[in-house]
Formats: sequence, structure tokens, C-alpha cells
Amino acid sequence: MIELSHLTKVYGGIAVVNDVNMTIEAGTLTVIVGTSGSGKSTLLRMVNRLIEPTKGSVFIEGRDVSMLPAYELRRSIGYAIQNHGLFPHWTVARNIATVPMLLGWDRKKVDARVEELMELFQLDHEQFAGRYPHELSGGQQQRVGVARAMAAKPALLLMDEPFGALDPIIRAKAQADLKAIQRRTGTTILLVTHDMAEAVHLGDRIAVMDAGHLKQYAPAADILARPADAFVDDLIGTVDRPFHYLTLGTVGSAVEPGEADGAPLNADASLYEGLGALLWSGRKTAPVVDAAGAPLGRVSLDTIADRAARPQ
Amino acid sequence: MIRDMIRPGNLLRLAVFGALLAFLLAPDRFAGLLAPLTSNGAPPIYHQSSLIDLTLSHLFTVAVSTLAAAVVAIGLAIFVTRPAGAEFLALSRAVVNIGQTFPPVAVLALSVPAMGFGEAPTRMALFLYGLLPIFENTLVGLSTLPPAVMETASAMGMTGRQRLLKVELPLAMPLILEGLRLSAVIGLATATIGSTVAAKGLGEVIVAGLLSGNLAFIVQGGVITGVLAVLLSDGFQAVARYAAKKGGARPQTGA
Amino acid sequence: MTTLADAGSDGSTLPRIDRLGVVIAILIAGSLALPFVTFRPTRIAAGTGLRLFDALPAVVAMAVAAGLVAALVTAVASHRPVFRLALGALALAALALGAGAAGAFLTPADNPYARIAPASGFWVSLFAGAMLVTDAMVRLKLGPVGRLVALTITAALIAALFASGAWSHLSLIAEYRSRADVFWREAGAHLMLAAGSLAAALVVGLPLGVLAYQVRAVRDPLINVLNIIQTIPSMALFGMLIAPLGWIAANVPGAHAVGIRGIGMAPAFLALFLYSLLPMVANTVVGLNGVSRAVVDAARGMGLTERQRLFQVEMPLALPVILTGIRIVLVQNIGLATVAALIGGGGFGVFLFQGLGQTATDLILLGALPPVALAFAAAVGLDAVVELSGKGAA
Repeated sequence: MIELSHLTKVYGGIAVVNDVNMTIEAGTLTVIVGTSGSGKSTLLRMVNRLIEPTKGSVFIEGRDVSMLPAYELRRSIGYAIQNHGLFPHWTVARNIATVPMLLGWDRKKVDARVEELMELFQLDHEQFAGRYPHELSGGQQQRVGVARAMAAKPALLLMDEPFGALDPIIRAKAQADLKAIQRRTGTTILLVTHDMAEAVHLGDRIAVMDAGHLKQYAPAADILARPADAFVDDLIGTVDRPFHYLTLGTVGSAVEPGEADGAPLNADASLYEGLGALLWSGRKTAPVVDAAGAPLGRVSLDTIADRAARPQ
Repeated sequence: MIRDMIRPGNLLRLAVFGALLAFLLAPDRFAGLLAPLTSNGAPPIYHQSSLIDLTLSHLFTVAVSTLAAAVVAIGLAIFVTRPAGAEFLALSRAVVNIGQTFPPVAVLALSVPAMGFGEAPTRMALFLYGLLPIFENTLVGLSTLPPAVMETASAMGMTGRQRLLKVELPLAMPLILEGLRLSAVIGLATATIGSTVAAKGLGEVIVAGLLSGNLAFIVQGGVITGVLAVLLSDGFQAVARYAAKKGGARPQTGA
Repeated sequence: MTTLADAGSDGSTLPRIDRLGVVIAILIAGSLALPFVTFRPTRIAAGTGLRLFDALPAVVAMAVAAGLVAALVTAVASHRPVFRLALGALALAALALGAGAAGAFLTPADNPYARIAPASGFWVSLFAGAMLVTDAMVRLKLGPVGRLVALTITAALIAALFASGAWSHLSLIAEYRSRADVFWREAGAHLMLAAGSLAAALVVGLPLGVLAYQVRAVRDPLINVLNIIQTIPSMALFGMLIAPLGWIAANVPGAHAVGIRGIGMAPAFLALFLYSLLPMVANTVVGLNGVSRAVVDAARGMGLTERQRLFQVEMPLALPVILTGIRIVLVQNIGLATVAALIGGGGFGVFLFQGLGQTATDLILLGALPPVALAFAAAVGLDAVVELSGKGAA
């Protein structure tokens, strides 16, 4: 559990982060979303003390982070950023091994961990371990950056616009992979983005920042359904709101008994995907199947439309 | 590896080095070549000191001063790029800019009143002037590192010293080497002029030629120093290329 | 553990001592214990060092010391750049006038051969004062015009000191007086060598640079050759040019008549010209290469011919970098022209090498200080021009 208490950062008389209080449950993926200059990155950097707060404290598992030497604290927290920050003079393997080596792990353990991570991030060890960062594609660099951040099995991972430099198709894949890896490892992730769609898609909870203030901190569905103020409302975007909302539910949750024609939909596809499939194939209903392909019933355009309406 | 070594450029380097060595070790065999440049039966080859001795002491002077300059200049550049030395950064930049407008020969001449004749003023001048390119290049190297890399180095939990040794210096290495090259090349040239203040070196041969009107001396002194300088500079560039390649080939061009 | 990232955070605003100021203060304080001037009964006799209060009448010495101490205190205690600049300038003025006054005070009426020269104490405090002024200028972030004005004022003040006779009893000036004619002749030769070879390099180097930019196949070999030339020590290049030029003078009809000799100005001029080509060509190429692709494409898209593009778009945008090349060449040539004296090429080096030959410090200074001052002025002046030219293109 991470607790931010009255966290404040003042630069030249201006509070870039202003008295933020927040509790982040262990094992969750929390997204901080805001426009540029909202203080979201500053907030993130105060957690691993790349920036020292002017006021307030950060507690990780009840311990005030300012009590540890900064470098020791940082070795226990993963950190990944948009421009990946890979060390250009080190190979992929050496980059991933950075923190384990700093922690003085023995060679065998480091090598094993590097191999394990490369597999987890779908980088062929044989092919990529000896390469230098500039020899990789943008997507590969980004994966190495995240693998490096997770190398020493940190309980907490901080990510600052980790997918910002990726093109849309690779980004969608990277987001899905991150979500899967987070589920598998149970790592607590605190991720900063300016993209509301990304926040809704990834976040168990979303924190909206504006001008240094924490405007709203709630599960994604709550943010969409009950934006705290006009700013949050704006950030969601009036047109996109129902569609964001649909990404939160699955087709399986809207199944009704009955039959339908045409290609079936997967129960764990999002309602958003279901809506797209129905609209594009010109159907009012479609059959739904589970992962094994067994029929579960059908889903209708009307049901999906109902689910897109603002909850009362 | 072997294929790399027999590229035309390397063969040329090897040939030039071989020719230089042959001339230095047995200069008299080349007397015939230089004889047409002499008149009135003057000797075509300089014999007051052995050419190989002069060459070695010339190189030694350059090596000692450049090394000393490197230690001090890199140390200072590291200091002013740390938080503790930050307030000296702007001034040290200005001082280096001003210092580099000083002609090396003037620095040499001005150290004579301070230190007398011989090796001392030459080494002093070489050292002082040698500081500037190394300091400037190290400074540029250390202050233009990619911010994302610097930030993650801290965020990974490197201490200041670890970050300096494992990340900053290796990444700045190609530029530092370029500074060393400039210093060494300027030093070699200034050491030649050092012969006018009685430092032992190859300038002696040229000066002797100028004083006695012996073209053969002038040309052999000139060619030896010229070839030495080119080989030295070339050697540094080869090392810098290797370092850049090892350093993930971050393209870096010197100032 | 503090890191650079931490250092950028809100620095405490506690009044703190200026650490550079402490260094300057130590230098000034130390310099007071060192001899201010050296007294020699004749030009090359051994000298005796005299401290400030032995070298000047008590009142004058007090005044000079007061100026220095005021600068010392300001350096440590004041954070206001304007104040630091003013006090630094005051200290320099006190030193300049004090040295001149010491000359007048110490020169015996019956011994016109006695020489008074500034000594280590003077030089150390001059260095400290210059640091204070430089630091203040850096902190003031003077713009190009401001720097040009400062340069002009400094030059005018020094000229005024010369003209006023305030320094006339200092040995450097005595040395100058005894060879004023030759001095200005060699000054002319020096400028001719430095600026003439620059002009020649401009005429040849610019077109070569454009060619190297447009024809890739020419670029690398040309730059490589020029790089090698640049690497050859000046004395070696001067020497190596003597033989071919001597041969041309002897064998090509008319060559001797137009001033081509094996020894003298011709090889020096040619060497400086060759040295100048690398910065000229390389900076032209870099400047032209640095013009943004989008701008060049837009120019092409609007139907500019290749020539129009070069003269109306690419060259104007590359101008700051090309001017930087000219700055490098001029500063470098002013220095290298000093070496030309070794092969009879003239210039300030004549005094410098004569002085070295006679172990006459004043003569060495007479040969070394003018090129230093010229190179410095050229650098400051051209830097300002480069910056001004960049304003329109940026």
C-alpha cells in the first residue's frame, strides 16, 4: 500500500503539486491522468524521490520514503519512461541487469532473471541479448525499458507515459501485454498518461490531476459516470464518453438467451468491440460463445445501447 | 579482424609508419634523397643529436604534459558538472573560451620569463594549453548526455559515483578522446616551437636548418614532425571510433 | 545523496558566501604579499622585487590597496553582478594606474636605463580582477551588442592609458619606444599575414565548401586532406613549404619578381592559407547541411532554381556557421602568424623570438601580448557578429 500525504511541490512560488492525498492499494494498476503541466509527472517523481517534495510525505508499506537513502529506495522501485532511457553503451542484457547488478546479485541469478524477463516480454534471448539499444525497434526498446524496470522484482513500478512514443497498433499491444503481466506478477503499478482512453483501458483506479490538484480519484466507471467537475468532464470528452464506458464491460455481461445469425462474438470481448462488430456487419443481434467456443446465448444492439447510457 | 587490418587505409598507415621508423633508425641511408637540397657540401642529415632520441624526447614531452592536462582537465570538468561545483560552471566555460584565443606560441613565450629556459616552460605551456580542449570536450560530453538516460540512471538507484563511472564517463568518452587528440596535436606543434627555448625535440632540426640555411635539415625536421602529428591524430581517431562503436554508436561529433 | 535532479529543485535562499568570490579574495590577498613590481638597474640585469608599499608613495599605495580590498570584499559578500563588475573594473584600473605610477616613482632621475616592470603580485591580482569582471559579465548575460560596447570601451581605455603617458616609465613601453617604427611595420606584416590569408581562404574556401556540399564524392576526400594539413605543426609546414617555394622562385620566370621566395612571407602566407581552408570548407559544408530539409524542399517546391536556392535560402541560413568558421580562422591565424617570424615572415613573432634569444622579458612581452590582445578582440568581436547574424536566421 502506498500513501501520499499532503504531498506538495512548489517551484518559484507556484504549487505544481498542491496538497495531494491518495492511497494506492497493493497489486493494483493506478493511472494518473491530466493535461501537460497538471503536475502528474512531478507527483510520480516524488514517489521515488527524483524530486523531493516541498511538503508532505510518501509512505510505502507504512514507511516514510524520506527515511531511506534515495539510491536505496530507488533500487526497490521500478521506473520506466516514454523515451525508455536505455543506456546506449550497454547491451540489452546488461541494461535489463542494471538494478540486480547494483543490488549485488550473483552472476547466475542475474543471468537467469534476464532470460526470464526477456521471455516474459517476448524478446528472443539468443537474438537480442547481445544487441545495443539503437539496434532495436521502438516497440522493442520500450519492452526492454519495462523489463529493466521490473528486473529486481520491485513491488512498485512507476511508469511515465511509457507508451507515448509508440505508434497506435504497437501501443495497443503493449498496453494489453502490460495488463497481462501486471495480473500475472501482482506488481503495483502507478502510471502517468495524458490519454483518457489509455487510462480507462488500463486503470483499476484513475486519478485526475489539474493544475496541481487531485480532482478526482475513483474507479474508471465512476469517473465516467460521475465526473467530479467540469474539468474532468472535459477531459473525458462528451462525444467519446459512452464509448469509453462500453470498454469497461464485456459482451459476456450482456448475454441474453436466444439465438442469432452470423459470426459469433467472444464473451470476453469488450462491449465496445461488440458494438463495432454489430454495426459493421449490419446486424441487430449476434451469437455469443465462450473461450472454448460453446454457445452462451446472444447479445443485441439494444442491450449494448442501454449499457452505454449514463447510469442513474 | 584480420580483414579489417588489411584495408587500404590501414595499409597506408602501416607503410607511412614503417617509412618513418626506417628513416629514424637509419637516416644515413636516405642521405642521397636529401642531398639535392643542400649546397656547398653541407651535410644532408642532422647529426648533432640522433633523430630517434629527439623524436622520443619530443613525444615524451607531449605525453607527459597531455597526461597531466588530462587528469586536471577531466577532474575539473567532472567537478563543475556536479551539484557541488555548479556555481563555477558558467565562469569556467567563459575562461576556456577566452583561454583558447591565446596563441599557444604566446603561452610558451610567456612561460619563459616565469620558468626560465629548457623543458620546464615547454611542458608548462603544453600543460596549460592542453587543459583547454580536454576540459571543453569533457564538459560538452558530460553536459549533453540524453536527459532520459540520466534520469533513469538515477531512478534505477545508481549513486552519484556509480552514475558518473558507469554511465556518464563511458558515454562522454568519444568526446573526451577528441579533446585528448586536439591537445596532443597542439602539444606536438607547440613542442616543436619549444626548441627555440632550448627544449629537446624535433624543432631543433628545423631551427638548425633555418640558422644554417640548410634546406635538407628543414625538410627532414618538418616531414618527421608532420608525419608524427598525422599518425598521432589518426591513432586517436581510431581509438575514438572504437570507443564510439562500443558505446552503442551514439553518433557524436567533436566541437 | 544529491543528484543533478535534486540540485534543480528550490534552492534555499539563505544568504551564503560566494565560493568563487572566496577564491578571488584569496588570490588578491595573497598578491599583496608578492612583489608588485620588479626594479632592474639595466635592461637585462637581475631585478629586485618590490611590494606595493615599497613601490609607491604611501598615499598612492593606500589608494591601490583600497581598490583591491574593495574588490575583495565585493567578491565575497555581494551577489549583485553590476556591483561586482564595477568593483572588478575599479580594481583593474587601480592596478593599471598603480603600475604606471610605480614606474614614475621608482625610475631614478640619473639612470635612464633602469627598468621597472610589473611583477608576480601585479599579475596575480590582475588575473583575480579579470576573473571577477568575467564572472560578472557571465552573470549579467550581456548580449552581443553589450559585449561589443564593453570591448570597445576597454580598448579605448587602454589606448588612452598609452597616449596619456601614464605607463611611459614601464619597461614594456620603454622597449616599445626604442623600436616604435619597427613595431608598427611588424604589426602591419602580422595583420597582412593573418587577414590576407583569411581573405584568400575565403575566396577559395567558400566555393570549395559549396562544391563539397553539392558533390558528395568530393566531400570526404577534400575534408580528409584538409584535416591532415591542419594536423601538421606550423613550424613543420612552414619548413616543408620553403623547399618548393624556393624552387619556384629560382626556376619559374617572374615568380621572384612578385615576391615568391623560399624564405620570408610567401611560405608563411601559403601555410596560413592552407590552415585556413579546413575551417572555411568544413563550416560551409556543416552550415549548408544544417539548413532544414523542409525549408530546402519548400524552396524547391516553389520553383526556385538551384542557384536561387543557394543564394537566397541556403547561404543566408548557413551564414552563422560560416561566420563561425571565419572566427576560428582569424583567431588561429593571428596566433600562427607569430610563428612566421622563424622563417623570416615578419610579424610580432620577430620581437618574441628576439626576446627569447636575448632572454629579454620585456621584448618577449612586446611580441606576445599584441597577438594575445588581437586574438581576444577578434574572438569577442566575431562571436558577437555570429550571434547577431544568427538572430535573423533562427
